[in-house]
Amino acid sequence: MTDELMRPGNAGDSETDWYEDKQPSVLRPYRSHPLRTLTAVCLVIVLASLLGISSAYLIIEREQPLDAETIGQWRAYPKAGTDEADPYSVAIYTRGAVVPLASGEGLALVAREDNAGHLLDPTCIYRLAGQTPAARLWTLTAVDGHGRLVETLPGRAHLVSHNLLRKIDGTFEVTAARNPHSGNWLPLASDAHAGDGLRFVLRLYDAPVTTGAALDGVSVPLIERLGCP
Amino acid sequence: MPVTLSPRFSLTVGILATLSLAAIIHILVIFSIPHNVQHSAFDNVAKHGPDRQFNLLPDVKPGLEALPDLDPAMKHAACRFELADGPVLFDASIPAPFWSIGLFNSAGETVYSLNNRTAGAERLSMLVLTTEQLSILRENPPENLEDLIVIETGQISGFALLRAYVPHLSKAEEIDGALMAASCGTI
Repeated sequence: MTDELMRPGNAGDSETDWYEDKQPSVLRPYRSHPLRTLTAVCLVIVLASLLGISSAYLIIEREQPLDAETIGQWRAYPKAGTDEADPYSVAIYTRGAVVPLASGEGLALVAREDNAGHLLDPTCIYRLAGQTPAARLWTLTAVDGHGRLVETLPGRAHLVSHNLLRKIDGTFEVTAARNPHSGNWLPLASDAHAGDGLRFVLRLYDAPVTTGAALDGVSVPLIERLGCP
Repeated sequence: MPVTLSPRFSLTVGILATLSLAAIIHILVIFSIPHNVQHSAFDNVAKHGPDRQFNLLPDVKPGLEALPDLDPAMKHAACRFELADGPVLFDASIPAPFWSIGLFNSAGETVYSLNNRTAGAERLSMLVLTTEQLSILRENPPENLEDLIVIETGQISGFALLRAYVPHLSKAEEIDGALMAASCGTI
């Protein structure tokens, strides 16, 4: 009440007059223009759409379902392609029209990195050594970064457990390279570029590990990079 | 007087609104993908031949893969069916050291699967039907019902994928023949 009297130059005709002039800028009401509000709302919507759509695209394009079982460098997605799959794997599998390997058939393990954590490169030479989880039959396939088969020098891009050279203790060693190697040779793409990507797919058929829970403690081949050009 | 906010506060609100809206859009996009797919596995299988019979898929070769993610060491045959047209009887005898069959619904999800060890017999004989069809069948059961693997499902349309391991090229023709002779018909 004394405040009003002390204020110089107060015409006293309306409250808003003195309110606007004398309030410090922090407390002064901030009047937004309708056009400004509209612009802000549009900006929010455009940014949110960009962010939402691009993040969804990136996750789907990576083709890595979230619900993975990791063993060493290998990943398995036992739940993908079933009715228990998470929405990301559902989106990835239906978009790629992928027919999954069902649990009664076997389990597919996918490796995208070597043991040092580097992404696999089809121009390099890799050694896969060790053992696989118990299975009646398994196949090892080299595919590109999108999961497609590639042309190789001998025309095949896979190895089968039945025709494998093994050491006395049952372990094996596979050399994955473009050019022929002695021993077990897994041919890689004949005209590959580093950007094409590489994945190793180990398909275990009729394996007891298909339930996913049994994956703890099983031994998988170790992927080592021997050299790159 | 309208409710007003300081510029810093409106910026925070704007960022929060953007992030929340982005999250909602992200979720909507992820959930809408399965409904907007142009070529599902169910559609792709139809390209290889008529429904209700096993159609041999071409050998898995680079650039010629009939379906993505198939094993090049295997031969595949697929059969599409609609249970509305009656129960499906799968019958096959495949001379391969390993074979397996997966049943998938039209969304590409696994319904049932087995391999030649879990089948318990060298011959695959499996009957897929709906609950209503099973109760009709029970009233007048066929003689061999005991020997069949009976699968009751609510999935009306789907497809079966038969995989057979080819141990050696010399066996390829025999396995091709067995896959083509596999039946996916009615009782």
